[in-house]
Amino acid sequence: MASNTSNSSPDGWTGRRLDMAEFGRRIAARKAELGLPDPPRNAGTNRTPSKRALLKAIEDAGGKW
Amino acid sequence: MNHYRPEFAAALRLLAQVSEAMVARGLRRPILVGGAAAEFYTTSALTTGDFDLCTFRQPELEEEMQKLGFVRPSGAGQMLKGWIHPGLALGFEVVAETPMDGAFDPETLVLVENTGAGAVVVISVEDLIADRMGQFASGSAPDRLDQARTLFRLQPALDRAYLAQRIREETAGDYGIEHLK
Repeated sequence: MASNTSNSSPDGWTGRRLDMAEFGRRIAARKAELGLPDPPRNAGTNRTPSKRALLKAIEDAGGKW
Repeated sequence: MNHYRPEFAAALRLLAQVSEAMVARGLRRPILVGGAAAEFYTTSALTTGDFDLCTFRQPELEEEMQKLGFVRPSGAGQMLKGWIHPGLALGFEVVAETPMDGAFDPETLVLVENTGAGAVVVISVEDLIADRMGQFASGSAPDRLDQARTLFRLQPALDRAYLAQRIREETAGDYGIEHLK
């Protein structure tokens, strides 16, 4: 989890930070520890027309999400 | 990065490239929200179909996306606001100027570094959980409760006070942090 503290820095970012690789390792370990089943994907019932069109375009382009 | 689906990792790297291009122009990085943020926080236990982004500078963001190869899908109808990257068969869409209609603390935004191509900004997991609870509370998306619970259980550290506040706000007081356990 990201730090909950705010701190200014040379790049001007004052919010939380986290390192992707470290975070991935921690969450993967947590998943294994808890033995969580994968939750369901979104049913898609709330998708906007734009969203439905975009997902169809991705599928038409060969994407399998 | 190898804890994530390869497609997701590739998409995140592209987002990082776009984000760094925005910074080079003196602009803020877009904010990743929605299902892709959920996939990030669960290392692909939850998966998504595309990347939803928030930015006040949509024209500039889309200029940078085009430079990296994003296109409007051919034959797309007027309904389509998103972009796809043909080489990776993935999509990005600007869904709003700011997450959750601005009802969040900007200091909770997360700068994710070491993506392999730069840094990206992601909505906080607390706001993401609250968003899922709000959709669940609306009655239109019952599956979102399981998603919220998964996000909650996987995070080793959360700002519980902020999370409780945001769930109450997003559910009009009908739900609280206790419904995640």
